Amino acid sequence: MVESVTASAVISLAEELEDEAVAFYEQLAERFSDQEATFLGFAKEGAKNKTLVVRTYRETISDALEACFSFEGVDLGAYRAPADGIDASSGYAEALVSAIEREERAIRFYDEMAERSQALMATIPMAFKRVGKTRGKRKLKLQALLDEGE
Amino acid sequence: MAVLQEPIKEPLEIKNLIDGEWVESEGEYKDIVNPATGDVIGRVPISTKSELDEAVEAAQEAFPYWRQMPPVARARCLFRLRDLLEENFEELSRIQTMEHGKTIDESRGETRRGIENVEVATGIPSLMQGGYLEDIAAGIDEYLVRQPLGVFGLITPFNFPFMIGLWFAPYAVATGNCVVLKPSSEDPMCQTKIAELAEEAGIPPGVWNVVHGGRDVVSGMLEHRDIVGICFVGSTPVARDVIYKGCGDTGKRCIAQAGAKNFAVVMPDADLDRTVAACMTSYFGNTGQRCLANANLVIVRENLTDQEFEAFYQTVVDKFVAAATKIRIGYGLDESVQMGPLRDAGKKQRVLGYIEKGIEEGATLRLDGRTFELVADLPRDAFIGPCVFEDVRPDMVIARDEIFGPVANMMRAATLDEAIDMIHDNPFGNAASIFTGDGGWAREFRYRVVCGNIGVNVGIAAPMAFFPFSGMKDSFFGTLHGQGQEAIRFFTESKMVIERWF
Repeated sequence: MVESVTASAVISLAEELEDEAVAFYEQLAERFSDQEATFLGFAKEGAKNKTLVVRTYRETISDALEACFSFEGVDLGAYRAPADGIDASSGYAEALVSAIEREERAIRFYDEMAERSQALMATIPMAFKRVGKTRGKRKLKLQALLDEGE
Repeated sequence: MAVLQEPIKEPLEIKNLIDGEWVESEGEYKDIVNPATGDVIGRVPISTKSELDEAVEAAQEAFPYWRQMPPVARARCLFRLRDLLEENFEELSRIQTMEHGKTIDESRGETRRGIENVEVATGIPSLMQGGYLEDIAAGIDEYLVRQPLGVFGLITPFNFPFMIGLWFAPYAVATGNCVVLKPSSEDPMCQTKIAELAEEAGIPPGVWNVVHGGRDVVSGMLEHRDIVGICFVGSTPVARDVIYKGCGDTGKRCIAQAGAKNFAVVMPDADLDRTVAACMTSYFGNTGQRCLANANLVIVRENLTDQEFEAFYQTVVDKFVAAATKIRIGYGLDESVQMGPLRDAGKKQRVLGYIEKGIEEGATLRLDGRTFELVADLPRDAFIGPCVFEDVRPDMVIARDEIFGPVANMMRAATLDEAIDMIHDNPFGNAASIFTGDGGWAREFRYRVVCGNIGVNVGIAAPMAFFPFSGMKDSFFGTLHGQGQEAIRFFTESKMVIERWF
């Protein structure tokens, strides 16, 4: 659904996406011990991403800029990850495919928010871009793991 | 979408902070009402004059000790205060939304701007330095030192309950003065919380006092012989009285920031999508209750033909109205809300009176904010929707008076010159903005317009903490402004020493 979206709502969703990523990769680390270090690394990265986005927003938000009006018409629901983690019965490859889908969704979210927030202080789109890039690199690593397994 | 948790669960009984003690007032108490929900969230005292006198006495006693504390030590107190404000960032922001009504994004923006003033004031060991010149004559040196003056009274308004106290207090105490702060009795909770944190940061008893109240406290401050200066932010008639009658009679220095009726000028080459987005914040942000809000929008013809101008005018107005129509109104802790209520029902009645006046004067109410939808089931007493008037002439009351609500007036001008004349014909001079892609027009505007704060493609020309918050004409009375280096100069006296050794 297309909603009227404030900066606060966008940041809340970013927090939600990163929290969800942390939980998801911790679950993967537990299930697939061969790649435990990689998945725990992704989880740690999620926590850092969240800190970066929240800190940037809080340190640069100004009542004088268009915080409430920059994200008009964004469909936040399209970026929300499924609430459940991976199915207990799913295999390694299936889990990686699910992870790649999550990363793609997150990348689209950060790219669109970076574009939409151009009117805000420059640090805000920069933070979105930086996290989007991190998630992009993660997607490539996941794709490589998937390719190795095939 | 999420509604954030309220930090105030039970009504709070607000106390005065005098000489490091949180004391109950002997005066009457009045309710503090959340304007969005109608809930009573606390009670604030209307303190007596004798309670003010106690606070001033405590501040006077603290002054000799505090002024001797090395600037770097005073700065450390402010660094700790800054850290505590950061730690409490979210709670402080949500309190603002609860007591004032603004949206959570607006509250967080206000918190940030307040904290930035504390950050600037931590630079006091550098900012307060004087100057030294050797050999002004043979063997004679001359130097300047900046010294604190004593006790300052700070009187802050309801529309920015967190930030405005911090335009002044950090600079006053950083320079070695003591303060007695009177927040607005409508939303006094943030300043109370800030004072608690100042205490926790190690600012000694008597240096930072808070006395809640109304007119008696204000007039008590103005008459008090031991208060050396006043910082006031409020309406123009009161500001005029504060500086000329109050401070004039007792010889106080004064910063009196007053009302406004700001103009935005849209030139034919403006980027209209971004202009309109900026205008939404500017005209309707904080529900129009801000001295930097734009209120009059002048659409300029310049080199367009009649037909082209008509099309341009209609495009601007249509986009403006379309965006304003979409604004979601409700409780500011709801993250989907873009505009909160006015501070109280009385303020809404005042705005409604101006809407009637505009219609009587012959303006066309293109968007009628008297009918509006709320995001949730809330009492409607203090809410109003965005209003847009067309066919507004500069001599109409709605174009001249500060309405302090979400009312935008659409106006036309043949040239930039005419638009600037319209701005100059208005008694206020707080802020003005131009939206254009043309550097020549922009320069002409910023060079000529007699307003303290100019925006070029910026809807709210709010100076950062390291610059003065300016203002001209009926929007500012005094010489030096709040914030930054001018605040340092306001809170200090320049002492010159000419030195020769025999």
